[in-house]
Amino acid sequence: MTKHIEGLLDFFIYKKCHHDYRRKKPEDKYCLARKFKAASMPDIDRVIERFEYVLKEETPVVFLQDKIALIRTLPVLPEIYTEEEICDISKGHHIHEQGKVCNVNPDYMSIIDVGFNEKRKEIKKACKIYNGSQLYYLEVMLKTLDIIEKFADRYREEAKRIGNHTAARTFEHIPREKPSNFLEALQFFRLMHFCLWCSFNYHNTIGRFDQYMLGYLEHDLKTGELTKASALELLEEFFITFNKDSDLYPGMQQGDNGQSMVLGGLSMKGTDSYNVLSELCLKASLELKLIDPKINLRVSAQTPVSLYEKGSELTRQGLGFPQYSNDEIVLPALLRWGYEKEDAYNYVVAACWEFIIPGKGMEIVNIDGLSFPQVVVNSFPRLIECASFESYMQVIHEEMDKLCGSMVHKYKNIYIEPSPVMSLMMEGCIEQAKDISHGGQYNNYGIHGSGLSTAADSLAAIKKFVFEEKAVTPELLLEMLSVDFKGYDKFANILRTKAPKMGNDDDLADQIAVDLLDMFADILAGFKNDRGGIYRPGTGSAMYYIWHAQSMMATPDGRRAGEPLACNYSPGLFTKCKGPVSIIKSFSKPDLIKVANGGPLTLELHDTVFRNDESITKVAMLVKSFMDMGGHQLQLNAVNRDILLDAKKNPQKYQNLIVRVWGWSGYFVELEEIYQDHIIERMELAIDG
Amino acid sequence: MIMKRCFSAKQGVIFDIKEFAVFDGPGIRTTVFLKGCPLRCMWCHNPEGLNPNPEKMIKKQGIENCGEFISVSKLSGILLKDQEFYKKTQGGVTFSGGEPLLQADFLYEVLQELNEIHTAIETSGFAAEEIFQMIINKIDLVIMDLKLIDSELHRKYTGVDNTIILKNLGILKDMRKPFIIRIPLIPKVNDTPSNLEAAAALLEGAKELVRVELLPYHRTAGAKYSMVGRAYAPLFQEDVPPSKEIGSFLRRNIPCIVL
Repeated sequence: MTKHIEGLLDFFIYKKCHHDYRRKKPEDKYCLARKFKAASMPDIDRVIERFEYVLKEETPVVFLQDKIALIRTLPVLPEIYTEEEICDISKGHHIHEQGKVCNVNPDYMSIIDVGFNEKRKEIKKACKIYNGSQLYYLEVMLKTLDIIEKFADRYREEAKRIGNHTAARTFEHIPREKPSNFLEALQFFRLMHFCLWCSFNYHNTIGRFDQYMLGYLEHDLKTGELTKASALELLEEFFITFNKDSDLYPGMQQGDNGQSMVLGGLSMKGTDSYNVLSELCLKASLELKLIDPKINLRVSAQTPVSLYEKGSELTRQGLGFPQYSNDEIVLPALLRWGYEKEDAYNYVVAACWEFIIPGKGMEIVNIDGLSFPQVVVNSFPRLIECASFESYMQVIHEEMDKLCGSMVHKYKNIYIEPSPVMSLMMEGCIEQAKDISHGGQYNNYGIHGSGLSTAADSLAAIKKFVFEEKAVTPELLLEMLSVDFKGYDKFANILRTKAPKMGNDDDLADQIAVDLLDMFADILAGFKNDRGGIYRPGTGSAMYYIWHAQSMMATPDGRRAGEPLACNYSPGLFTKCKGPVSIIKSFSKPDLIKVANGGPLTLELHDTVFRNDESITKVAMLVKSFMDMGGHQLQLNAVNRDILLDAKKNPQKYQNLIVRVWGWSGYFVELEEIYQDHIIERMELAIDG
Repeated sequence: MIMKRCFSAKQGVIFDIKEFAVFDGPGIRTTVFLKGCPLRCMWCHNPEGLNPNPEKMIKKQGIENCGEFISVSKLSGILLKDQEFYKKTQGGVTFSGGEPLLQADFLYEVLQELNEIHTAIETSGFAAEEIFQMIINKIDLVIMDLKLIDSELHRKYTGVDNTIILKNLGILKDMRKPFIIRIPLIPKVNDTPSNLEAAAALLEGAKELVRVELLPYHRTAGAKYSMVGRAYAPLFQEDVPPSKEIGSFLRRNIPCIVL
């Protein structure tokens, strides 16, 4: 890391000096909305006025050390609708999350590679063939470009004023012209990304940065304008920009702003597209240790162990990435769902883990979530009439069908605020004079699948104890569950600890999980949404693993009423796991091509396994093995200090967390506090070492 | 005193099977922990491995069983399930404990079943010569502890004499079998220049020695004692970091790492 980068980290990340430039007066986020309501303005006028307002209110601030400028000074963005108006809209429309275009991947280069002047020509050409509201929309797009240009000009002036010639020179050129070098391309990206956030779009994913920016890097390396070292420095400054204003970005959870970057991936020629820029990105992330951008690695059978090793070194930093996505599963899945071949091969990862298409997908990949355990609970009344486990699985199928059916019928007539800024970078919007909020080339919805392990474990317990061993009658079992096991502690413990569990390479439980996912895929295959898209089943859980669990009664896997489900695609929270090898074996048994909306297996490994090169290679081999066995997505976490501190405070969440020191291992929550502290202390030594 | 074989040949007592052991040999391995040990090292971090019989462990959430009887066929069945996986990652199975040689007959029969799998053993080397040789012959990689060279100090800190251990080390050096020597570094006990020099001198020239691994003492060693009804009261200073001076090995061209 150079002194320049150390300085930037100190200024922007540790000391957050740039926050001093933020407006301190509390903003009234409905100040514009009230005005708009009074004037009964249509939504397209509202969004463009808001965008103009926000960029006007922004104060350009350039620091002498900036090679890549821009910071947010307006902390609060105004809404375009009052609360009453939203209420009215929701009476006839479905509103997803905050009702804005979000969690898509714009094709940034469609604007960056040509520059605004060329883009204007393109829009003006389209203007010739449209009239009425479509012509009006194209004019709004032109106005959007004007607004951004004006804002960039103010930054240019500020750069001149303060004496930052690099930034001034950059803003002389972009955004009117296409970039002449890597630096200008990065600044242009920062500008467009900044504008997306300012127009209230969120989860603005970065996408395949190593592919679309490669040309600029290679050009500069060839001419000698950059060396690999100076390119790395520039890249690190670029990475820092994702962390300057991220505290202002909306999301659904703490720290969840969706700035995900995807590296690598199989090309249509069958080669791996990992390149010199991908390499630099991994290096930058490793050196900076910042939470954004979140790195996603696309892997395939071609991917060498050495890349998994680099990934494992990154995991060691404790930031929770990289996340691995397996092209060998995702590509066939996307093709099977009807995506064009070129688009499938270009897939990226959305804010969390869903698979989306750059520039063409106006998809809501997290529109709802199926609770597998709820399906089991809903089937309880009919358990008594089932003579065999097979007939009970028929009931399960019927209940899942009902639940899925009720879900898909909710999402009619979706309303999303228009976004001309986003539309400028989405295919077909200029051509068809249509805002992306009305739909893109792909309009599919995704349904998560939460609590799979709880459901599989519950059904496994029923199969074993009710049908096979006849250790308990269905009536008695249901009685136990209805009273949350009160008075039946001994049997609850047997269910909790002695029944087959998904994740221990036990075919009894694992086969049930295979069947449940097959069922899920078959049921959703019959449905279409009102935008002509399909419903994609997945294995993610988002926040559903908490929401679905809170009001759910006790379940036959030994789970008590209200106890949370496992997050995403993972073993149950109190499952005593045999180990990561059994887990990856269990979780690669289902036919994941059919349920590839997204949702990783999460493996948590204690930091000791990242201690030296040899063990890092073994971690890499473990991840690769999961992919080779048919796994689709994996998130590997190095158990870090924060997790351990949380485990001290909330042991019930970490019952199967194992900590290891060489040949010693123990369940963290079973240790006396003094030993827990020793482990935590060792943790701190590990990260520096 | 040489430990006699305690159990019938067909059954053994184990207290854990740990997947994804990364420091117990090459590749991704599964480690089987056999119960029972003739030594009483002051720094032992697996006190649940000392008693050869199944026992109860008292934990925060209740009482749990520690240790179970298992047949040769059941154990080898469990291990063979992952043989494809071991092959692909060039890993295998490691036998540890406790002291695996204490159940040599049982271990021998299990090893017979695992011919296709790479096997390793972690041992103190404290066993009769014939038992040592019988097992080592069937093992692919030996990981042997060399705790203390001076016999008086060895008896003081581990409870047993090291004559038979050093004799077995001699046998090991003569066999054409790759081996690793492990030294748990206990502050002011065996991390002394004199002990490490003596250890290095013993290992000089051993052709099949892969390397020496030094394991610095860790404060979590005492964590499980109260759970098995034992007291942890080592006669050394726990909070002093051990010296990691590996010069003695490097001077003799002995590969050495600190884990």
